[in-house]
Amino acid sequence: MLILQIASLEPIHGYGMAQRLQQVSQSVVQVNHGSLYPALHRLEQKKWLKSEWKQSETGREAKFYSLTASGRKQLAAEKVDWERLAGAVQLIFNEGGRS
Amino acid sequence: MRQLANWFRRKKLDSGLDRELRYHLERRIVDLQRSGLSRAEARRQAAMELGSIAQIQEEVRDIWLTRWMRDFTYDLRFSMRSFLRTPAFTITAVLSLMLGIGATTAIYSLVDQILLHALPVRQPDRLVLIDWKGDQVANGFGSWNLMSYPICRDLDQQKQFFEGVFCRALTTVNLSTGGDYHAATAEVISGNYFSVLGVGPALGQVLTNDNDRRPNANPVAILSYDFWKAQLGGAADVVGRKVLVNRHPLTIIGVAAAAFHGIDVGEVPSLWIPASMSTEVIPGFSNLQDRRTRWMQVLGRLNQTITLREAQAGLQPWFKAMLKEDVRRAGFPVITAERRQRFLNSSLVLTPAPQGHSTLRRRLVEPLWVLFAVTAVLLGLACLNVSGLFLARGSARDREIGTRLALGASRGRLGRQLLADSLLIAFAGGALGIAAAPIAVQALIASLPGDNAATALHAGVDSRLLLFAFLASVTAGVLSGLAPAWQSGRRSLISSLRERGGTAFGGLRLRKVIVTAQIALTLTLVVSAALFVRTLDALLAKGPGFPTASLVSFGIDCQRSGYSEEEGNRLVRRIDKAIGYSPVVQASAVARFPLLTGGSWNNPMTIRADKRFSTDRDVNLNAVTPGFFSTMGIKIMAGRNFDKRDIGPPGERDARSAIVNEAFVNRYLRGRNPLGVRICQGSGPDATPNTEIVGVVSNFSYRGIREESEQAYFPFKGQGAATFYVRVHGRAESSFQSLRAIVRGVNPVLTMTNLRTLDEQVDRSLNTEHILATLSGGFGMLALLLSLVGLYGVMSFVVTQRTREIGIRLALGARRWSTIWLVLRDALAMIFSGVAIGLPFAWTLGRLVQSQLYDVKASDPVAIAIAIMILCSTAGAAALIPAHRASGVNPTEALRFE
Repeated sequence: MLILQIASLEPIHGYGMAQRLQQVSQSVVQVNHGSLYPALHRLEQKKWLKSEWKQSETGREAKFYSLTASGRKQLAAEKVDWERLAGAVQLIFNEGGRS
Repeated sequence: MRQLANWFRRKKLDSGLDRELRYHLERRIVDLQRSGLSRAEARRQAAMELGSIAQIQEEVRDIWLTRWMRDFTYDLRFSMRSFLRTPAFTITAVLSLMLGIGATTAIYSLVDQILLHALPVRQPDRLVLIDWKGDQVANGFGSWNLMSYPICRDLDQQKQFFEGVFCRALTTVNLSTGGDYHAATAEVISGNYFSVLGVGPALGQVLTNDNDRRPNANPVAILSYDFWKAQLGGAADVVGRKVLVNRHPLTIIGVAAAAFHGIDVGEVPSLWIPASMSTEVIPGFSNLQDRRTRWMQVLGRLNQTITLREAQAGLQPWFKAMLKEDVRRAGFPVITAERRQRFLNSSLVLTPAPQGHSTLRRRLVEPLWVLFAVTAVLLGLACLNVSGLFLARGSARDREIGTRLALGASRGRLGRQLLADSLLIAFAGGALGIAAAPIAVQALIASLPGDNAATALHAGVDSRLLLFAFLASVTAGVLSGLAPAWQSGRRSLISSLRERGGTAFGGLRLRKVIVTAQIALTLTLVVSAALFVRTLDALLAKGPGFPTASLVSFGIDCQRSGYSEEEGNRLVRRIDKAIGYSPVVQASAVARFPLLTGGSWNNPMTIRADKRFSTDRDVNLNAVTPGFFSTMGIKIMAGRNFDKRDIGPPGERDARSAIVNEAFVNRYLRGRNPLGVRICQGSGPDATPNTEIVGVVSNFSYRGIREESEQAYFPFKGQGAATFYVRVHGRAESSFQSLRAIVRGVNPVLTMTNLRTLDEQVDRSLNTEHILATLSGGFGMLALLLSLVGLYGVMSFVVTQRTREIGIRLALGARRWSTIWLVLRDALAMIFSGVAIGLPFAWTLGRLVQSQLYDVKASDPVAIAIAIMILCSTAGAAALIPAHRASGVNPTEALRFE
């Protein structure tokens, strides 16, 4: 979900994705660089991500991933799921706090 | 599916991933350097963060292809390498499967084209053939499923059941597109033919109901696409041109769609002509509107909402009413009450007709399925053979497989490896098979019955055939891989590692089972081949009942060349006379209808002997000149030949005299003098027997060599068409030139049809039997070869394995013949149990093909004995070679091995 979320903002290459993950989560989420690529390719295989080769900011060719329409749908669905789960967890904590 | 696509572009995917990872690494190094690390340190740090590149690659590849497919790719590569190392094994296995798959594919090509292929029309599955079940009280011509034109028109009105109903009849016309006349096949059709089928024009327009309203008022025609391309060079301005059909000008109004070849797979029409022009197209025909003339096949397209069963049931009330109305109609023949009841009890039968209607299909449906079954058995044999080869190789690879098991390969994985092996072999065999199939199909088509079949069928490989060959290959691969995979699954790891190479007993029992099965299947094929060969033999031995050497026949149809009946008769007489004067001719005669073509002029007859009665089935009829019987060499058994007395004045309706054959006398006039008995055509009360039997001739074949029918002959008076029978001096073929010259000398416009020797005519009439005998014989030989190879392989293996044992026996004083017997006993056990298992199958198969046989029963002891003898002697010989080798074992050497 995190990958889809990051890719939904703008087309991004693998390295950028790794940097961004570290940045936005303030290093809370430590993604092993090695496992990032299988994940990207799996999402691409599922057609939630599409990719193209483009010039990167350093002038080299890099593979940029961006979200597809079905990926967008999937992201939305996962967000809803997540919010439900997070909400439920919150409720349980609140309950626990009261007693 | 995506994974399959990925498999084909896996190289590109790989290099893409490579670039992607390299980019990541280099960016990271640059970033780390910026944060103050040295280049070497940065490189080390970045590589560590990313982890093993090879592992990432592996993981990503798994995502692309799935684990299974990747393993399979490796398996295939591995199989390929190991096959290339053992070329002899590979070639034998591939050739076995090539024979099996090639033969099956070739026969399937014909099965598909003739029996299964749906017409290239709109929704062919909604088409039905409408046929009359019962007595139509009608005369007719043509073959199978015939009804009259007015009934078709009535059926077309039943809109609650049919979108439309059309009718068609095939005929041969003399066609000229400007130059010479040529015989061409034409389809006479009702106006709605194209619209009901849903076939459009490639050029101009197609026929419509407007072209089929008033008799003789629509001189138009549609050309077939192929005829237009081949004969008229695809001329763009063809619409509006005129062609001459039997000397009547017809205007071309269009060319039919390219893919459409009529509704009969065996007879491709060159042109379509509306039924309203039938008088011009079929000389002497004027019964288009007659309800009692059956000559057209009727097909309909069911409404979208109705099933065939509902339509058939729903039609009956209307049909019964029509029958009652028919009986009351003026001109309905006077018939007996019993026959009238048969007429009124008639019903309509609808059968699905997505493939149209075909006489060729009717004739070949059984032989083709028989041959298809035979090739399927052959393919099964080839699979068994490859199985046996794999097992043999498997025992040679025992140590390799044992080692792999020991290193942790799963049994499933190993089985899959073996499956990859057999699939690879099967696809190689399949590819070669499909390359060879068109050649075989071409040869088959050339030998098919029917003059037009060759033009209608094609030997090319289309997508359906490819699909079939692919499926056959997969099946063959799986089947032949099954036994080895099973065997490898049973192997115990310890024992295979402990045993030393060469002493393993790997799969010997399974191989024996396979060889036994092979022998059983082979026996089935050899028995059926023997049955077909004996059938052909019996028919050839029987012959047509007259000597065929130096006998030639040809036909002439003057009316189709535009002459009146009277002119035609004069021409026939002049040609007959001219032939009689020719020095190459011994004798000649004329008959109205040709012999041995499968067809005949036939009718029930009424006989007045002591009492008056009708024949219980049709009598085959012909009209011949007085010289006919002597020219053909047919004996007159009683009475006299025709002579001048028998020819009445022109216009006399009934023949004065007739000659019948012995079969006729035996069936209807047994025990009395047939001479002087009076007979006539027809079985109604209006039939007046006033033709006198003046002679009896020996039996001979009319329609075909199989049948023994009652026949009656009338004096030839001529109806504008005739078949000439000429016995020549010397070889028959050498007279063709002079005969052609004679006919051209009399009239250069007349076309001679079917100029052939009678030997060729006999061959043609036996052509289905020829095909069955040759092909089943050929397939039987191949089967025999395959199982001999299998048997030989197993026996050699046994001998190699038992060398030590045999050596000990010899050293202890066993005699050579006893060692031969020791080995041979094994082989004989396989052969005899194979024969015992195969016999019931052979008998069942024989029963299924009984209708194709002649003078031979399915359980024919001679055929079965011959088959068993061939099988046992060759198999015995194949087993004897290794057995003999066993007896040559040198005891000291065999023991020194230890």
